[in-house]
Order: sequence, then C-alpha cells, then structure tokens
Amino acid sequence: MDYEKLLSLCSELGYRLLESGGEIYRVEESVRYLLHAYGVETCDVFAIPSCLIVGLSAPGQKPITRVRRMPSHEIDIRRLESLNNLCRHLCAETPPLDDAWTRLNAVLCDQVQFAFPVQIFAYFLIGLAFCPFFGGGLGDALCSGGCTLAIGLCLHFMDRLGTNLFFKTIAGGFVAALLAVGLTVCGFGLHSDLIITGAIMALVPGIMITNVMRDIMAGDTLSGVIKLTESLLTGGGIALGTGLALTMTRVLWGVG
Amino acid sequence: MYHLPDFLPCLYALVACMAFCILYNIRGADMLIASVDGAFGWLVFVLLTPVVSSDVVRYFFSAVAISVYAEIAARIRKHPVTGYLLLAYIPLVPGAGIYNMMEFCISGQQDAFAATGLHTLGIAGALAVGVLMVSSGVRMYNIIVARRALRKKR
Repeated sequence: MDYEKLLSLCSELGYRLLESGGEIYRVEESVRYLLHAYGVETCDVFAIPSCLIVGLSAPGQKPITRVRRMPSHEIDIRRLESLNNLCRHLCAETPPLDDAWTRLNAVLCDQVQFAFPVQIFAYFLIGLAFCPFFGGGLGDALCSGGCTLAIGLCLHFMDRLGTNLFFKTIAGGFVAALLAVGLTVCGFGLHSDLIITGAIMALVPGIMITNVMRDIMAGDTLSGVIKLTESLLTGGGIALGTGLALTMTRVLWGVG
Repeated sequence: MYHLPDFLPCLYALVACMAFCILYNIRGADMLIASVDGAFGWLVFVLLTPVVSSDVVRYFFSAVAISVYAEIAARIRKHPVTGYLLLAYIPLVPGAGIYNMMEFCISGQQDAFAATGLHTLGIAGALAVGVLMVSSGVRMYNIIVARRALRKKR
C-alpha cells in the first residue's frame, strides 16, 4: 500500500468537503472512516474552518502528515452531497487508490453552478421576501429587492478584486443603505429602516452564529471561537457600512 | 387566537429559502423540500406564539421541528442532512440581532449592546441545542441499530 498516496487522497477529500461547507465533525469523521477502511489503524484528523491536518503512521513506516490551508470559500451543497456519497462508496468498496483518485477527480470536475443572472435574481428575491417578513409593505419590499440586488453585484465585483470578507461586507452594507435612503427619498419606499433590515439579510452571518454554538456544544471549541470572531467581524462590517451611509446622507443632504 | 396575516411570513420565508437555495447550489426537488422545511420552522414558531411567551423557547422548539424534518428528508433522499438544515435555519437565525448589536456597539449604547448581544446569543444557543438534541438522538439510534444488526449476524 502506498501510504503517501492514500494520505493525499484522504486529505484532498477532506479539504474539498470542508471547502463545500461541510461541518467540522463531518469532515473529521469522513477522513477517519476512509483511513480506517483502507486499514490504517493509527491516524489523527484535525480540522478547523481554516485548516485541515491529517496524520497517519503505518506499521514499519515513518509517520507522515499532510497540512491543508483553507482560504475563504463558498457553500456548495451539490458538491458536498456528491463528495459525501463518494466517501461512503469508497469506504464500502475500498477500490485501488488510482481508481479512487479518478473517481474523486470526476466528482470535482463535475461542477454545475447556477448562471450569474440567476444568482443575481436570487439576491433580488432575498430582499423581496425578507422586507415583508419584518413588516414592510409592497413598495418597501421592491426597494429592498433592489438593495439586495445591488449587494449581490457589489459582492461579485469585490470578489473579482480579491477583497477580504470584512471590506466586502462594509461595501455591501454601504451600498444597501445608500440605495435604501435614496429610494425612500424618491418616494418608492416608505420605511428606510425596514428596507435596510430586509436587504442586509443577504449579508448577515446568522447561520454562522448558530453554527458557533453548535460547534462549541459539540466539543469543537476552537472552530466555534474562530467562527464567532468572524461573525462578529461581519456584523460589525455591516453596521459600519450602513452607519457610514446613513451618516453621510444625514450630513450631506439632511435625510435618512 | 390566530390571524391569517400572522401566517404570511411563512410564505415569505419559503421564497427567501428558495433564493438561498440558488446561492448554496441546492438543485431539483431538494430545493422545494429544503425551502418547505424553512417555512415549516417559522410556522411552528408562529403556532407557538400564543402558547409560549419566551421567544428563546419558541426558537428551541422550531429548531427541533426543522431538524426532525431535515433528518427524515435526508433519510428518504439519501443525502447528508447539512443542506436541508442549513437552509431551514435561515428564517430563524438571529442575523438582524448581530447587526443591531454591532450597531449599538458602534453608536456607543453599551446597555442596548449588551442586551441585544445576550439575546442574540440566547437565540443562537436555543437553535443549536434544538438541532444538536435531534442529531445526537439520531446518532444514538443509529448506533443501537448497528449493534443489533451485528448481534443478529453472530
């Protein structure tokens, strides 16, 4: 058995699972099961949101370790599902390593994403749905949809420029609040605060703060703390962005 | 006791979940299944409103409801539960709470900051406990079933 190849395979699978939005425990368990399935008894897997470490020692060989650093990533449930499926099959069948690599590569190549206009439309829907959710009227909802659409476009272009999460959120909040006040002044919307609340739902780290509590309760304390910091930063970024825009409109034009 | 407009947010939640399906790349029938889970969570929340006064407790029961639904859906569709759960969370999660909290922090209103912060953490904790309780229960059940199968083989 070529243990280095096995280690590469397992760490790649774990890395991709983590990248697609898998939970910490799922990533650690999947890699551990896969290594056990290939007959490795002593192995250790450690994952946090930004890093994956896999180490194994085979009888009569030097222990080997692989470290993978995780950049910021997008959630892709479709890929998570196919990777999870692949992992289950590999554990059950334990095919030769070259076969397993081919199958993993096939899954990774098979990437389907919604087209860009569809994604932008999804952003519009988020604002449209969340504004009445918080009590806004039809006009407010449409304005809020416009704001989230602007957020979507803004995030897309900031992504292209390689900006980090914090500044992306500030820019998103800024654009949304500015547009919300503008649309209210023009008479399209009635309540700029409801429009902003609906619009920033496209940015808020609500899922992250819930995962924080889940990770901490499940024993992955370090992951929880990392995500807590990230969600506080994101929340702060939104507040800074919208605050900046509201102050600006108040000082410059006396509205908002 | 209940008024029809109280239930409209469920519809909005459904639409919002559909939108997030596109962003999270959830496709096909799963899109509808997961979105209905999100709307279902909010429905439970609304139904409990006259019965339970504390909203943190209501969030807890909603979390239990969505995770039971998600576990069943995952079992039937043979997909990991992650996608369903992640999506169903969306109407419930205290996203606006974090934003409000940081807004108070920046504008220097310390008391309001602490109050919103604790409330947000409380909601997040209630959701997490609800989901964890169901997933731990399922896990224990799986282990018991696996052990029984092993014993029968012997």
